[in-house]
Amino acid sequence: MKLHLSRESLLTPLQKVIGAVERKNTMPALGNVLIKAQGGEIQMTATDLEIELLAKSVLPVDQEGDITLPARKLLDICKNLPDGADITLQVDAERATLSSGRSRFKLSTLPAADFPQLEAVQGVTQFTLPQSTLRKVIDKTSFAMAQQDVRYYLNGLMLELDGSTVRAVATDGHRLALCETDAGLDIGDKKQVIIPRKGVQELSRLLDDEERDAEVSLSNNHIQVDLGNLRFTSKLIDGRFPDYQRVMPANCDKVVSADKQDLKLALTRTSVLSNEKYKGVRLVADNGALTIQTNNPEQEEAEEQLEVQYQGENMEIGFNVNYMLDVLNNLTEELVTIALKDANSSCLVEEVGEQTAKYVIMPMRL
Amino acid sequence: MRKIIHIDMDAFFASVEQRDNPEWRGLPVVVGGAPSRRGVVAAASYEARRFGIRSAMSSARALQRCPHVVFVPPRFEVYRAVSEQIHGIFAQYTDMIEPLSLDEAYLDVSACDVLGGSATRIAEALRADIFRATQLTASAGVSYNKFLAKMASDQNKPDGLCVIHPQRGEAFVGELPIGDFHGVGPATEKKMQQWGIRTGADLRKKSREWLAAHFGKSAGYYYDIARGVDERPVRTHRIRKSIGSETTFAQDLNREAAMLAVLEQRLEKVLLQLEKKRWNARTLTVKVKYADFTQVTRSKSLDEPSHGVSAFRRQLPELLRSTEARSKPVRLLGVTLSNLSPQADSSEEEPSQYPLF
Repeated sequence: MKLHLSRESLLTPLQKVIGAVERKNTMPALGNVLIKAQGGEIQMTATDLEIELLAKSVLPVDQEGDITLPARKLLDICKNLPDGADITLQVDAERATLSSGRSRFKLSTLPAADFPQLEAVQGVTQFTLPQSTLRKVIDKTSFAMAQQDVRYYLNGLMLELDGSTVRAVATDGHRLALCETDAGLDIGDKKQVIIPRKGVQELSRLLDDEERDAEVSLSNNHIQVDLGNLRFTSKLIDGRFPDYQRVMPANCDKVVSADKQDLKLALTRTSVLSNEKYKGVRLVADNGALTIQTNNPEQEEAEEQLEVQYQGENMEIGFNVNYMLDVLNNLTEELVTIALKDANSSCLVEEVGEQTAKYVIMPMRL
Repeated sequence: MRKIIHIDMDAFFASVEQRDNPEWRGLPVVVGGAPSRRGVVAAASYEARRFGIRSAMSSARALQRCPHVVFVPPRFEVYRAVSEQIHGIFAQYTDMIEPLSLDEAYLDVSACDVLGGSATRIAEALRADIFRATQLTASAGVSYNKFLAKMASDQNKPDGLCVIHPQRGEAFVGELPIGDFHGVGPATEKKMQQWGIRTGADLRKKSREWLAAHFGKSAGYYYDIARGVDERPVRTHRIRKSIGSETTFAQDLNREAAMLAVLEQRLEKVLLQLEKKRWNARTLTVKVKYADFTQVTRSKSLDEPSHGVSAFRRQLPELLRSTEARSKPVRLLGVTLSNLSPQADSSEEEPSQYPLF
């Protein structure tokens, strides 16, 4: 195999796929990137056996071939070459030589045949939607995914296709984020999959804000998202995601409307003096005002008062301030509503004007 | 004055086997590992004891003493079920129960007013109830503290009852051969014999200071029991010390990846139990039994107690690699969490996050 290319045309695809390369791995091949040069196209693939990332670029190929190279070393070399540097990559026998100007690097190789491949995605449901739509539903919800919960099915994002709607739901058992949008799909039976946490993060990195299409294929075990020059494949989490509809709050008749930025800043300041472990803050809503209070074991206290829209009886409820801030940080509109029922029931946070995302937070007993 | 009952099932495991296998009744039966597999005696029937077979003796030795002894592999799940049945009977009389093992328990019946509040009649009723429910016999000791109750239950074994009344306590201890004292093992017995201590009465003649000089930190205990004094309460809430899960494979495992997968699965199971009880654990132990039935355990303690998967899962590969599992086939793998402590936020005083579902 022999390639002649610019630093950028090697670096860009490498940076796209590097996320799949595990830092610690048990199989040597998993630390490598597979490079295939064939028919005027270069493909780079990286995998951790759970997700697989593939980047394609149309480039002249001097001599066809395929090989795997140590991914991080290759990345670090390319990153540190000067902008626009010309690179020659040549593979003979067991060694690959990368040369650029007066720099020369000999890298170890492993045969392409030893590179693990995820099984083909079969028996599929396929649909196409704008990348920006897929990215939006993921980015508005993924912060609520659990991390290494024993309920393994929470360590991921549930993607649901329902008629013409695409819906993402994530929850860690204390709070839940849901975002749905009509993507003009035509899905027969409702379909639900759980994408593992790492896959969600990598996919979000690959998607851009443009209207270009993402072609999604779902099988029983895999999801594949084809973005033209990039392809993302991930195993799915085999498990039953909790019934999100069941935990959507009902009969929340006490609605507080507040300016998002004011509320965010007040909560952020208050959180400084909250208990570092539990992060509890108390919200007290009374005609036209919202008071935020907290204290910590050192007996330090914080109190903030905000002007809000609220008509109704005095209402007091405790929350983990981080759960509230996570939601506020993911909102785009300026006004936010918090719908409450009582101190022991979940609340519903939404933004005014944007009806696609809903956030449910369970209170704390303080 | 307290009223304490010590209940001790007679040759428990062996009796269960004889109950369930009538053809072994009247025969010397040993429950334990097979002699060919370097097993030890877990329990010996009274018939076997006549040949000098005792618990903890090697099975090979037991076979020498009685070549026609019946060897039975233990069925712990059955013993556990019977033990639970017996505890259910205890619970009908008192909730002050301190189980010592599957076949032994202390009961404090001081506050019990059934049967006229008579500990002796309660002990008789317990023995009768146990026999009716399980067809197994128990021996009971009744006295005013745990030490004497335990000594008493040994007096009329099997199927016996012995009561040591307060006025007889000191005399009973005085006559007791020193080797029979609970807490005096063979080594201590020998040492005491050398000092001319043959009975409880001899022991009582020694001062606290003399005992301290010769027996160190056990001196206080010896001083007290020589006088029939034992203030230890019946401890009803024994804290569970560990949670574990293990599995035996139909076919021995050779591949490390497969073993790790099994260990992770077991770990998750154990962590779920830990989470349900709102506990943290600090120590992770991996148990490996090889195809040749030898076994090893390897432990690792975290810096901080935890109930998170990742903290423990990270330790598994290293623990497994410190065994010979890569070179020897493995028939059983298990995971245990110990050094348990309550999770900080489980107390009523602390804030607590309500769950969504």
